[in-house]
Amino acid sequence: MMLHYLLRRLFLLAFVFVALTIFAFSLNYLFPGDVLSNFTGLRYISPEQETALRRILGLDQSYLQQYIYFVRRILDGQWALSFSSQQNVLTEILLVMPATLELASYALLLSMLLGIPLGILAAVRKDKWLDKLISALALVGYSLPVFWWALLLIMLFSLTLGLLPTSGRLSLLYEIDHVTGFMLVDILLSDVSYQQAALKDAIRHLLLPAVVLATYPTTVMIRFTRDSMVEVLEQNYIKTARAKGLTRLQVLFTHGLRNALLPVTRQIGLQFSALITLAMITEVIFSWPGIGRWLIDSIYQRNFPAIQGGVLAVSCLVIVVNMLTEILHTLFNPLARRF
Amino acid sequence: MKKIRLYYEEHNKGPMKLLWQHFAPQHFAFFGLIALLVLVSLALITPVLTPHDPYLQNSQLLLLAPSWQESGLVSYPLGTDDLGRDLMSRLMLGTSYTFGLAILAVLGSLLIGLILGCLSGMSKGVKSSIFNHLLDLALTIPSLLLAIVIVAVLGPGLINTIWAIMLALLPQFVHGIRNAIMQQLKLDYVTAYRLDGANNRQLLFSVILPNIWEQLVLMGTMALSTAVLDIAALGFLGIGAQSPTPEWGSMIADSLDAIYLAPWTVALPGLLIFTTVLAINLVGDGLRVAMKKRREN
Repeated sequence: MMLHYLLRRLFLLAFVFVALTIFAFSLNYLFPGDVLSNFTGLRYISPEQETALRRILGLDQSYLQQYIYFVRRILDGQWALSFSSQQNVLTEILLVMPATLELASYALLLSMLLGIPLGILAAVRKDKWLDKLISALALVGYSLPVFWWALLLIMLFSLTLGLLPTSGRLSLLYEIDHVTGFMLVDILLSDVSYQQAALKDAIRHLLLPAVVLATYPTTVMIRFTRDSMVEVLEQNYIKTARAKGLTRLQVLFTHGLRNALLPVTRQIGLQFSALITLAMITEVIFSWPGIGRWLIDSIYQRNFPAIQGGVLAVSCLVIVVNMLTEILHTLFNPLARRF
Repeated sequence: MKKIRLYYEEHNKGPMKLLWQHFAPQHFAFFGLIALLVLVSLALITPVLTPHDPYLQNSQLLLLAPSWQESGLVSYPLGTDDLGRDLMSRLMLGTSYTFGLAILAVLGSLLIGLILGCLSGMSKGVKSSIFNHLLDLALTIPSLLLAIVIVAVLGPGLINTIWAIMLALLPQFVHGIRNAIMQQLKLDYVTAYRLDGANNRQLLFSVILPNIWEQLVLMGTMALSTAVLDIAALGFLGIGAQSPTPEWGSMIADSLDAIYLAPWTVALPGLLIFTTVLAINLVGDGLRVAMKKRREN
């Protein structure tokens, strides 16, 4: 049964991938500029080169044939070259993607650690002052424009108090080899004499962006956990458990949490796309060398192959994460299994 | 004088009245509604109201402090920016850009979403299933990514980003409307109408739509806060509204260089964005609570 479900998901994933690549393929024609240079990323194409390239790309054949060639190149890792650096876009993406993932995962972790307990607290104390306080804070955080919030925090912690750095991932004093791309992991893997100092510095750099980025998902988590918990606590089985003589804490942990957190796991996947959008803005403000800043820079430089590749990579990432959380949700929740 | 009731009669209040009855006692939501009304009227009539020309550069008055500070002038209540333009006039005009265009984007998107949602909600089978999966795909693509693609194709500009935002909002509307219609179709009173011989079109227009429009309003308010935040964020990143346009997000980006000298030029537009979004969210939450209470009673 589960296998059947997984196969169906896999089929859907393949379908989504086809749709995405068709979209990316059509961008070659939609972007302004020469189609040939959009496809290859070459800035200067001599006439002899042009005929050869046209044959390789299949530009003299039907769109379908061109699309098949395009997908084959994508799968082989032969993506177009970036206009600005004349490097393969895929290698560039793989270089900047870990920074974004690192930032986003810490923010997500932070939001779960803060949001879920606060949401539960608010639900247990429903309509008391604590609930009102938490809900009000959540609403304020939910309404904050992320770039303004980042600027306010920079003004306070970096410019006025001088406590935290404003940009980058690591002070230029330290040199850490690029192994996984995740800064903290790389530092722990490296065996340099200043490991401790570098780690401290990296965490100081990480703190502000992670807090800024975590604000929105935390508030979403609070609101969602609270609503779901309130609903669960009104169910009859909770009353039954209470009537059987369990204490409030016992009921909360053994009967309440399990049921209330199920929809929350699903929410994590749904929020991932918003998280990536916010991460991109946060990266621009904090000069974080991730895919968001890279993409925005590509816009300024009118670097079409980079935009195309970046959009393809980020959407694939978001969709895969979405699908994974959905599969996990189905695994945990028998009620969601409709085969 | 209290009206004397001679006969026993039941007073059934209309659904709108009931909704208002549950909405009005929520003070914060009520304030949010007032703030929203002020903002809407500001967005409509602001070109006549601005005390100074929002684009006029006055080289004598660069970075003038707000009037509550020692060095400020009363005729420039919120000070001026780095080109000597009156900040208050610019902020007022910004309402029609950031907030007014967000409303237009939501309305446009809601209309298209309504048409698509009705089509998919009333259809069944493979067609509906394929459509649904496509929607799920579209729902997951981040809005900023969509905006980046559209800006890359059409070039930067406020109107182009509006298209992007409309497109980004569309899937959630279609999804929401589709689900609302499916939910209504399962209810008994719809079946009763069907048994009376109503065809699909009549069912949709005279039975289902009047019963889901409140949900549409709720979806609209939720989308409105996203739209305002997106317009401002794209303006801030420089791929939305371009420099002289007093859009709140691009105003923040323009004043970033002067953040040390004149922090109010960054703080005030952001405060307005925040207030606007907060007001929208307060109204949205209030509406949801009121609808829930009405259903329970």
